[in-house]
Parts: sequence; structure tokens; C-alpha cells
Amino acid sequence: MTAIDTGLAAEYAAIYAYGAAAVHLDGDPRERAEALESEHRSRRDVLLDHYAAAGADAPPPEPSYDVGVIGDAATAQELLTTVEESVATTWRAGVAASDPEERQLCLDMYSAAAVALARWRLAVGQAVADPWPGRPE
Amino acid sequence: MFTTRRGLLVGAAVLTAAGCTGQTGQIITADADLTAALRTARALAQGAEALGYNEIAEDHRTHAATLERLLRPSSVSEQEAEAPADAAALADAETAGSAEAAEACMTTQSDYAVLFGEIAASRAAHAAVIA
Repeated sequence: MTAIDTGLAAEYAAIYAYGAAAVHLDGDPRERAEALESEHRSRRDVLLDHYAAAGADAPPPEPSYDVGVIGDAATAQELLTTVEESVATTWRAGVAASDPEERQLCLDMYSAAAVALARWRLAVGQAVADPWPGRPE
Repeated sequence: MFTTRRGLLVGAAVLTAAGCTGQTGQIITADADLTAALRTARALAQGAEALGYNEIAEDHRTHAATLERLLRPSSVSEQEAEAPADAAALADAETAGSAEAAEACMTTQSDYAVLFGEIAASRAAHAAVIA
């Protein structure tokens, strides 16, 4: 798998998670979740265009993803925080790619993921500052 | 040339003192991308702190500390930066700093592509939440 394959898989999983979690949210977190789900769909479409331009088949999404039991807003927020962190971590790893086109795409996606992570944290009242977005602990 | 034991020892001492020890010389130069990133990190830290964005300023100080460590034994002198007029100006400075680090990520010949990418992403996130 390439870094872009892995990143696309992370975007698929994020879209699925937002679809399952957003319904449990209200107010600012709900609005932000809907906006971020739309961003993930846009990023997925950019990636699918990338595969199409290269004449390659994009990996398909899984039929479903394990998001656990979402019983309330707190669980939904926790899930989406984990999802955004995971997406940022995935794209960060792709920045090490030696191919310039792949690195550029991963860098663009990584910056967008870091912005999304910060906006989500702000919406749910968490600290947004992070010197190394997505860096594994 | 050195036909006696004493002559051999004196000769070795002279060669060592002259720097002819067989070790490869190393010219130490500061990485231009790291230096630029450090100057921007310091300026952004000052600007964020001046406007009360203390947690964001701390992110920049963390970047600066890492960059200083990577630049050793070279050092980059501290400079006073002009504080941004308001939050919008700080967000613009964060965006410009992000673009600078992203450019370094794409063009660096060093092993620091991911580091520059992290700094670019962090600054982009700052710009988004300040704006």
C-alpha cells in the first residue's frame, strides 16, 4: 500500500464515523461535525480524482468500520477526536514519501487534517494548541 | 624520515599538531531551512504572546527549541520581531509561516521533511483557529 492508499482508507473511515456519531451531537459540535464530514468527503473526492488521473484503481471503502457503541454525545465527541487524530497521524506519515507528487499530496492532506483536528477540538472545548499534530505518542 | 624511536614520536606529534591526523575535515554550516524556520518560530512566539495567545506561543517555543537543538553547534541570534497589530495580522503571519515550512518540506535535501511538514501543519492550524 502507498501512503495515499492508507490516507484514503483513513478518510473513508472518518466519513463512516461522522455518519454514525453526528446524530448524537447538538449545537456547535453538531454543526462542526457536519462541516468536517463534508471536508472529509471533499478530500476523498480529491484522492479519487488523483487515482483517476493516474489511470489507477482506487482502493474501495470497507462495508463498515468498528466505531464501538455510541450511546451519548460524550462518546460521540470522544470517537470523533480519536478519528481526527488518526487521520492526522496517517497523513503525517505520508509526508516522508520520496516521490515529490506523493509527498505534496500527503502534505496538503496533512495540513488540512491538522486544521480539522484543531477546529474539532475548539468546538468541543479542548485545548487546540499542538506543536506536532498527529505525531504518535 | 623518522629513523629513530624519538624521531618517530616527535614526527607524530608535529603531524598531529598540524592537523594531519587522517580524520576527514568537516565544514559546519547551518541548514538554511532550519535557520529560517527558527527565526519564524521565534517571531511567531513573540507575536502570539503579545496578543495573549499563550498556548500557541508555547507551540512556537517548542518548535524553536527543537530547531535550535538540530542546528547545534551553530546558533542563531535572537531578534526582536514587530508584534502583529491584531489577531487577523497574527493569522496572516501564521499562514505565511506555514507556507514557508511547507516549501522547506518539499525542497529540503535533509532528513527533516516530516519535521517541516509538522511545523507547517501546526502553523496552519493556528491560523485557522485564530482567524
